[in-house]
Amino acid sequence: MRETPKRKLSQTQAAWVLLVPFLATYALFLVYPFFRGVWISLHDWNLLAVAFNPDAKEFVGMRNYERVMWGRNIEWGLLATPFWQGLGLTGLALSVILGAATKSSRFNVIALGVASAFLIVVSGFHPGEEGRWYDRRFWPTVGNTLVFVGLAVPGVTISALLLAAALNRETRAMGVLRTLFFLSQVLSVTVVTLIWQIMFSPRQGLIANITKTMGGTPINWLTDQQFAMAAIVIATIWWSLGIAMILFLAGLQDISKDIYEAAALDNARGVKAFVFITLPNLKRTITTVVVLQIILHFQVFGQSHLMTQGGPNDTTQVLVRYIYQTGFRDSELGRASAMAVFLFIIMGSFSVIQFIVGREKT
Amino acid sequence: MNRSYYWLVLGLSIPAFLWLVPTIWMVSLSFQPNEVLARTTSTTFFGLIPIPFTAENYGALFAFGQTPWWFLNSIIVAVGMTLGVLAVSTTAGYVLARMEFPFKRTITLICLIGLMVPEQAVFIPLYTMFADFGWHNSYHALILPRMAVPIGVFLMMQFFRAIPKDIEEAARLDGVTWLKIFWYVMLPLARPAMMTLAILTFLYAWNDYLWPLVSAQQRDYFTITLGLASIQSNFAQSEGLGRVMASGVIASLPVVILFLIFQRYVVQAMTVGGSKG
Repeated sequence: MRETPKRKLSQTQAAWVLLVPFLATYALFLVYPFFRGVWISLHDWNLLAVAFNPDAKEFVGMRNYERVMWGRNIEWGLLATPFWQGLGLTGLALSVILGAATKSSRFNVIALGVASAFLIVVSGFHPGEEGRWYDRRFWPTVGNTLVFVGLAVPGVTISALLLAAALNRETRAMGVLRTLFFLSQVLSVTVVTLIWQIMFSPRQGLIANITKTMGGTPINWLTDQQFAMAAIVIATIWWSLGIAMILFLAGLQDISKDIYEAAALDNARGVKAFVFITLPNLKRTITTVVVLQIILHFQVFGQSHLMTQGGPNDTTQVLVRYIYQTGFRDSELGRASAMAVFLFIIMGSFSVIQFIVGREKT
Repeated sequence: MNRSYYWLVLGLSIPAFLWLVPTIWMVSLSFQPNEVLARTTSTTFFGLIPIPFTAENYGALFAFGQTPWWFLNSIIVAVGMTLGVLAVSTTAGYVLARMEFPFKRTITLICLIGLMVPEQAVFIPLYTMFADFGWHNSYHALILPRMAVPIGVFLMMQFFRAIPKDIEEAARLDGVTWLKIFWYVMLPLARPAMMTLAILTFLYAWNDYLWPLVSAQQRDYFTITLGLASIQSNFAQSEGLGRVMASGVIASLPVVILFLIFQRYVVQAMTVGGSKG
């Protein structure tokens, strides 16, 4: 046995030496800011006033949350917002039917039921007579974000799934095609919005030019209330299809070729094989992709901020952009932080779902 | 390969081409003269072929304007952030994967919880903190917040866990210190994982928009992503469509080249990044 010199670090000491750089940045730039954000949300905190005089903030408790999410004479009623509550009821019914009828993953059914019940309860609140929301824009903004997620996630998931199924062969041509579909994924949000802003332009845009050649009248995509959200969703699908496609391709690799060969003997090829073999075997991957996409697209900011500036008439105003504006245009850091905490709670619950889904796999 | 395979490839080539059209259009517009573009953007085949051709937009980009400077800022921030993230993630990842010490489980759990916090939930308090320090409009302000995100630590931790213990134990028996084992034995083995993490971080740094938008208010500290956002709203009046498109092409070149060379790592990096943070 060799003698250990005294200066040599013990395992614990060495561990701490190697851990400290990360733990220090983590504590300083993530943990502390998080709690500081909660603390700011409990104050009436004006960005400019506090910048000049650190004492110009006032502790107001939960009042920022109240000013953002609540109002005067708020009542609750079933069918107060037919669209959202109808959606919630449909979801609830679906989860009950699925839960009773099939042996589909219990977790998915419960998640759907809880989310639907939540939607019914939350969207049932509305201002009664003489009542009004304190912040008239907050809930519509949350609604717009949900609409964006509701359009972008199925759009990306379905097209990525079909593409992945078609591209699932290890040949050179397929490799090239995958590269082409994945390429737009590495571009930055500002390049994507730059391209699509001009693509959609009614005067200079490619889409307008093609419409004109075919004798149609160009649509004013980005300033028309009916089309602005659709335009943002199209740009987003173009941008973020790649990851979903790659995740599906990875999932497809895990399905054994034998199953397809056996099915081919029973005359199940092409579409039939896709519906009866590919889809059931990809269930877990699909859940993962959907949850990931929800988390990703709930944080949408650049597309709305750069392409439509939240307009026309607030139809594309989304949550992160509203937080940004409340904080940095209106200087209301307290209210902005309250919204950020709201965002964190929603995203956090989806992260927990993602964690549980990921756990199920192993 | 049978006939249906060729039909499939042919059938898929059409959507693949359509998928590329927006990108081709940007590149093509960047090679057309501004005077022509002011009149019409669909000169030759809807403007997808750059005739009349000019490279003037790129020349103008480097002669005036701040695009080259923003490009340089982006390189500094992206490289700095990549090195920083690699340094803190490999060390912490190794410790949490391989060493034994008190409170290890607690610390691992605390780091895991950090994965749940999105950037959007902390950018306001970070802004006020950096304002208090007087750090805004600097490179470290753009770099530091990302170093605190635990995704890299988990990536490295998973990698180190998969390495067989024999090598390490042999070195331990020879009396090699922990720090030396980490530096001389483990790091060389970790190169593929470090590559994936480096590309993930570089792409993130290059494309990040929200934090630079609030932190860098002086145009001198804009990254190219931020700078491009600042000129795209008024392209018609000031710079000319061709030049703005040329900026867009320049802004995309590094990530596109990175992607084409290291495709396997990029796909892997984005899969990991997409699934965790």
